Amino acid sequence: MEALFDLFSGFRWQDGLDILLNAYILFRLYVLFRGTNIIRAILTICVLWTVSQVAVSLGLIITNWAMQGIITVAALIVIIVFRNEIASVLQTKNLKSFLWGIPRYQFNTPLNIIVESVYELARKKIGALIVLPLKQGIDSVVQGGIPIRGRLSQELLVSVFWSDNPLHDGAAILQGERIISAGVILPLSKSKDLPSFFGTRHRAACGLAELTDALVIVVSEERGEITLFKENQIHGVHNRLALGKLLQEHAGDESAPKGIRNQAIELFAAGLISLLCFTGIWLSFSKGMETLATYEVPVEFIKPDQRMEIISSSASNIKLQISGARTLINAVKPEQINIKLNLLQSVVGTNKLPVTRENIMLPPGIRLKKIEPSVLEITLDALVEKELFVQPHWVGTLPKGLIMTQARVIPQKVLVTGGGLALKEIATIFTEQLSLSDLTEPGTIVAIPVLKPASLRLKTTETIRVHYLISKKAGAR
Amino acid sequence: MKIILTKKSNKYRIPALLVFFMVLGVSFTTSVCPQQANGTMVMTQAVMCESIETFKPLNPAVVFSISQGEVYCFSNFDPVVQKTIVFHKWYKRDQLIFTMQLTLMPPKWSSFSRIQLRDADKGPWRVEIRTAEDTLLQTLRFSIVD
Repeated sequence: MEALFDLFSGFRWQDGLDILLNAYILFRLYVLFRGTNIIRAILTICVLWTVSQVAVSLGLIITNWAMQGIITVAALIVIIVFRNEIASVLQTKNLKSFLWGIPRYQFNTPLNIIVESVYELARKKIGALIVLPLKQGIDSVVQGGIPIRGRLSQELLVSVFWSDNPLHDGAAILQGERIISAGVILPLSKSKDLPSFFGTRHRAACGLAELTDALVIVVSEERGEITLFKENQIHGVHNRLALGKLLQEHAGDESAPKGIRNQAIELFAAGLISLLCFTGIWLSFSKGMETLATYEVPVEFIKPDQRMEIISSSASNIKLQISGARTLINAVKPEQINIKLNLLQSVVGTNKLPVTRENIMLPPGIRLKKIEPSVLEITLDALVEKELFVQPHWVGTLPKGLIMTQARVIPQKVLVTGGGLALKEIATIFTEQLSLSDLTEPGTIVAIPVLKPASLRLKTTETIRVHYLISKKAGAR
Repeated sequence: MKIILTKKSNKYRIPALLVFFMVLGVSFTTSVCPQQANGTMVMTQAVMCESIETFKPLNPAVVFSISQGEVYCFSNFDPVVQKTIVFHKWYKRDQLIFTMQLTLMPPKWSSFSRIQLRDADKGPWRVEIRTAEDTLLQTLRFSIVD
């Protein structure tokens, strides 16, 4: 149990959403394509992909290469071969049925019309071949045929197989409440164990039932017997009730409790498998490819007292070694990692602050391995005001024979705000460099004070002026 | 920086320094007001100068060129009631470079300290003249330039 918890440690709500979303997409694809050959083809591709992955893990380079090639070609073949079924799924459904509904393909077919028509044909011994396709398309296995697209009625269906009708030799395709086409040529079954009294019409019906999920109704011309072919099964029909029941089962009648239960179990199993599949994929991503990364993260200090100034810190950045799934590590953005140190307990002077996991915010699914340095030494100072003397900073050389006998600064002192510790060592604010080179007579210079350290702030707004006196040097040394 | 400390505090060894007892009445630059500390002495003059000749400061100034080679801090006390000491504290910017202890003898006394200049000494300086009780008598601000 503990191992199970460990397996799902770092599970985020985004992961749950991710799994559910993809599982639902997979489930919907199954629902839309279930019963068709596409599902079998996709399952085959999945098996090939599994073989390819096993080959990779075993280091079978050629096998992996071959599998990759086969998968690529197979995917292409699936799209080409099953284009009609894919198109029918994507085009004929509305958005609701595409996203949510459970398709029932033949349900709208007026079955009673078919039953009555078939019995009239049988009674009159008119040979007939009626095809009711289900989910798989039949276009790829049938040939010819004349499009009719007529609304299904007993008279129309009987007349299609009337002996003088040019279309009576082929099969009639029924879809929903319409006769789609007539005179369609079906593939003949190659089975050798068919009853000897089955003619070409029966063999054609059997051939189509073997290849697709369509229901084929045959009315024997000689004996007036009705036979149904579906998925390698042959049903002899002796009354209307039996025919109606078989047609209803084929159409997926909601009133058939067994069908509903089976369908519910099938869909539940499909949903569960989809969920398990993507949970497994998530686990393979999150646990299978664990990786390490090191980030250098700036430290954010939280100052409860705004009068406190941070004078120095032994480090401004901290190296964090983190681990997690490669995809999660690659998705980490620097702004998602934060280190916050609260200075609530800190005092003026030097403080040693341990950097712990509680100070570090990481994205979900990412684990912290190492903190370096794990202790920060910071010096705090309280803001104070201090009056400092201003002193001119002369540079250059006075013209020969001249000396500066006096330099009076106005104002003599300025008020400066800064850290108490820093200001404790400072007695003087120096001006920017003032050049002596061009000074030959007494005068006044406007000077700008240079504040060091830069955290100091000048509160005096008065312009600083330096009044200087220059005179000739008296005598030689 | 080579620092040469010169103090004229022992009149028995260096009688010539008695000349310093003469009052230096001329006030040049930054020294104007007599400073008294504990009633033991009064500082009448304090200047930075290029040199000292005949026990007087020569060319008092606030800017000195390295080419001068040295700079002096001259201080004169009159009267000096009893033997006492003062300090010349030399700061480059706000960093204390050296402290010179000077002994003052009654009835009046003059003394000085000096530094030899090198290229690295360029910048703003100040000399604080303080009593034994650390009372500030005078601050002399000057710059050493090219």
